[in-house]
Amino acid sequence: MVKVAYYPGCALKDRSSHLDASARDAAERLGFQLDELESWTCCGAVPPVSRERVMNLVASSRILKNTRDSGRDLLVTICDFCYNTLKRTNHRIRKDEITRRRINTYLAQEKPERDYIEETASPWTDYAGEVRVMHLMEYLRDVTGYDEMRKRLSRPLEGLKLAPYYGCVMLRPENEIGLDDPEDPSIIEGFIEALGARVVNYPYRTECCGSYLSVSDPDVSTRLSYKILSSAAGKGADAVILSCPLCFHNLDSRQEAISRVFPGFKPIPVFYFTQLLSLAMGGDRDRQGFSRHHVDVSGVVDSIFAEKERQ
Amino acid sequence: MTKTSDKPVDELVPIFFMGKRYEVPSSLTIQKALEYAGYRHIRGCGCRGGVCGACGTVYRLPDSYRLQVGLACQTVVRPEMHLMILPYYPGNRACFDIEELSGSGDDPARLYPEIFKCIGCNACTMACPMDIDVMHYMAQAIRGDIAGVAETSFDCIMCGLCASRCPAEEVQFNVAILARRLNAKYLVPKAAHLEKRVKQIENGEFEEPLRELMSMPVEKLKKLYEEREIEPQMAGEDWTPRDTRYV
Repeated sequence: MVKVAYYPGCALKDRSSHLDASARDAAERLGFQLDELESWTCCGAVPPVSRERVMNLVASSRILKNTRDSGRDLLVTICDFCYNTLKRTNHRIRKDEITRRRINTYLAQEKPERDYIEETASPWTDYAGEVRVMHLMEYLRDVTGYDEMRKRLSRPLEGLKLAPYYGCVMLRPENEIGLDDPEDPSIIEGFIEALGARVVNYPYRTECCGSYLSVSDPDVSTRLSYKILSSAAGKGADAVILSCPLCFHNLDSRQEAISRVFPGFKPIPVFYFTQLLSLAMGGDRDRQGFSRHHVDVSGVVDSIFAEKERQ
Repeated sequence: MTKTSDKPVDELVPIFFMGKRYEVPSSLTIQKALEYAGYRHIRGCGCRGGVCGACGTVYRLPDSYRLQVGLACQTVVRPEMHLMILPYYPGNRACFDIEELSGSGDDPARLYPEIFKCIGCNACTMACPMDIDVMHYMAQAIRGDIAGVAETSFDCIMCGLCASRCPAEEVQFNVAILARRLNAKYLVPKAAHLEKRVKQIENGEFEEPLRELMSMPVEKLKKLYEEREIEPQMAGEDWTPRDTRYV
């Protein structure tokens, strides 16, 4: 089986470990293995937007350099924030020579200075952005291919109406990320169709869910999430599909608060793209961590299995 | 280790302690060299065997700007070294009742929320005299992998040099010992034989023989001690003592 270097990120190891499990399961059903890096740290989550110009890029640069040094030129992640951070760091390293030299100078001296450690012969090679960073969604579109996915479907999500949600960081800034048109993207739509489901168009798919404000100012995130979810539901969506653990947290767990603030709001299930991918590829419903969702998804999941039985 | 065997043991080399020059024998450890120079260690000197963490030392050598670290009791002096011992580092230590924790990945995050400030600079790893991958266990703490932290930090002697170098003001060694305690309390399987023995002690099964020892005349006690049976160094796992009353 093809092994693809995989950077899970912290959220996928802790609060969202069920999403990591579903991604690994789906990948293996598609014929490749998500091969977790041996040793990795937090990517930093926000370095490219912080005022600090260099030091905050060190962790993500090290992750990329270690990937290259382990003989691989592709690194896949499934979290929008990690994707944004790693990809933008890579972009800076490729485009900005001074940053590249400062980071490499720092990383080159990371070996502790000890009397008793003998110099190893392996020469230092600057990391110059050789690794390609890909979102799993991007890998499915560009490497696996939607046609190939369709061929391998064992449980097509026929009849299911899904509202794609992009959020902010998966697509922006366009000149650094270059994944899709940030104002009129189509990658998740393509993914939905490849799973055999129907796309629901609604106007809020690239609006922000409130991101980290769910910690410091949850009311903002409640209001923003309400707009997104009620718009999707109003256009007839059975569920929302997305690819960021933080968006997932906001859009799923904020629905209790939304119901309190906006009477008449009807909860709508939220899925991480790997869960539906796994189910469509024949995955087990008990292995997707649905019990950890705040909004009950069993109606939608039942319909996926019922649809399969009818065929 | 530094090669010193081809030099006469009494050769004196200059070292600088707190910026002051001393001539000390080249074969001594930093700790012994300072005692040779007239210092008396009241603090900053514990086991003298490299495991207590009381004599973490930072030093620099001529012709290099790079900081080196070691334990004063384990590191042999080098000519022209500038050094300082850091016996104690004032690190933030959370107050907790282990019974009220759960062993989940949230425990370190709640007690030490500053772990999320880590920027991955790796200065801690470079400062560790035990060659622990400190940054890696902090990364494991951030993602809630308690068992991973316990495993990676196992050799930590709590010297504090990691914390002294941290730009994010983390206290890595306290996060690590929290994880090792949580691991022992909540994650690793319980040792059945230990629980059995604790029960025996609580039931007072060893009270009588202890009382017997405590009331024994000193001379008889000494004789008993000297004639005690010692487990042979190469004894296998199935070795048992002749007297099996308390086994």
